[in-house]
Amino acid sequence: MKIINPYEHSITIDEELCVGCVICTLACPAKAIRVKDEKAKLIKSGLCIDCGECLRVCPQNAVKAMTSRESEMQGFTVLAALPSPVLYSQFGEMYSPNDILLALKKIGFDYVYDVAVSVEEVFIALNEYLNRKKNVRPLISNFCPAVARLIIKNYPDLIEHIVQIEVPRELSARAIRKKIAEEQNLEFDDIGVFHITPCAAKMISITNPVGSERSNLDGAIAIRDIYLSLINALKEDGDDEILQRSSGVGISWAKGSASKLGLPNRRTLSINGIKDVVKVLDDVESGKLRDIDYIECSICPGGCVGGPLVIQNKHIAARRVETLIEQYGSKSRLNTEQILKRFEMDFLLTKNLWEAQAPDPLDTDLSRALEMMNKIEEILEILPGKQCGACGAPTCHSLAEDIVKGEAKLNDCVFIRNKELENALKRNN
Amino acid sequence: MANAESVVFRKSYHIEGGNFQSAGSVSKKIKQILKQLNIDGEIIWRAMIVAYEAEMNVVLYASEAEVILEISPKKICMIFKDKGPGIPDIPLAMTEGYSTATREMRERGFGAGLGLPNIKKTADNFDIQSTVGSGTQLIIDINIF
Repeated sequence: MKIINPYEHSITIDEELCVGCVICTLACPAKAIRVKDEKAKLIKSGLCIDCGECLRVCPQNAVKAMTSRESEMQGFTVLAALPSPVLYSQFGEMYSPNDILLALKKIGFDYVYDVAVSVEEVFIALNEYLNRKKNVRPLISNFCPAVARLIIKNYPDLIEHIVQIEVPRELSARAIRKKIAEEQNLEFDDIGVFHITPCAAKMISITNPVGSERSNLDGAIAIRDIYLSLINALKEDGDDEILQRSSGVGISWAKGSASKLGLPNRRTLSINGIKDVVKVLDDVESGKLRDIDYIECSICPGGCVGGPLVIQNKHIAARRVETLIEQYGSKSRLNTEQILKRFEMDFLLTKNLWEAQAPDPLDTDLSRALEMMNKIEEILEILPGKQCGACGAPTCHSLAEDIVKGEAKLNDCVFIRNKELENALKRNN
Repeated sequence: MANAESVVFRKSYHIEGGNFQSAGSVSKKIKQILKQLNIDGEIIWRAMIVAYEAEMNVVLYASEAEVILEISPKKICMIFKDKGPGIPDIPLAMTEGYSTATREMRERGFGAGLGLPNIKKTADNFDIQSTVGSGTQLIIDINIF
């Protein structure tokens, strides 16, 4: 809760490593990246939804996710780790979730909290929430920070479809902070609560949350940054404290399909991967899918196990999640009545602070925007339509837009420049 | 500067009848343009209802169609000109619940007989002309101001 975020987005591009190859530019679903002066830049930061695609595809490892450094964990009296259920899928079958939680304590966290328990709480509350909010269908999950950004930027009409229950990681953070403050008689700010995450957007969701005033978390640590020390700690013997309270329901969240077990009597969809998420949001926007109660959307293919900051192959991780579900059962062991009571008292709800953000209109004046749109069409007639990205923009259409906005020149297109040079040569001969 | 009211953006599209793979793609392209123009969400929503219904009518019943989109600062106009069987009884086709959809179409979730009446209800101006054995033309306006 001490962090002041200097960044607007979760990724940074290391100019030393970037060779200006346009792979990220072409992969970016928001068309937010341009290569200028031989380097990729997040020029259209207003369009970026923090999905991490650029991070995933960069062959130079020049795109970095912003996560907490060790130095940021110093200065707290007590440290707590809140691992995403994905962490349980990253190790071999010999290590149980409880072993992994114990290992987090061995590497220096004073407290750990099984976030999968909060997942189960959320789904119990969600079932009741669906009863209360009968007039809006389908409801859409709020936990993927990239989906949240996609909706406020590109689907503002769908904001009312977003579930307003606090996300699991935040519920866990609130619970553990309260517990530690009481047990240790500490101020909230003395307690450092860190999320262990597969997700590139988690840090930005902590520093710049969508839909809530501020996060209960202090930072996010990449699974891949903590993996080695965890493996070493897992090999050591330790005590046998029981830290895992979750069942397979909470753990199933890791592969983006917790609604199957969490809402067994509802019509739900689990949509993973940005392309399918966009398709389904388009459908909801055009008034379809009203017969579906709840859609769980994750931007990463395969759900959170497909996050960019993991170690394990997402298919193997998903397989491991299946085994864990079998092992820990497909029914939550939490006290439903207690959770519903907290829900009735609005403890589990977030305030509705979702605000639409128009991503990048041509102009706020419609006449001028129409003129620009006509110019874009004129320029598109001239451009070769190869969608090669050599100009530094992801498509010919993007280049045309940039030209009309005065951010690029027609001869940034290599084919046009080539023609200009040929013509110049002809004139000289 | 030219008279601002006279600025018109015009673009045409082609819809292939019976092609479910690309069905809805024209409406989607139109939506993207309207969003880029920063047009009010409610207006886009109405434009999308009519565009999608009209597009699906072509996919379901006609062999092909040309769509002309015209946007001025005052209104969005969409003309759907199809080559197809035409509509013998327009007042009947405009009746809510009336549909000539086949069982196969209904199984795909279409043909509730809401298409044309819904377009008329949602649009600010609606004109339909049809010649049996030749085709149907819809002119649909959504006002911006």
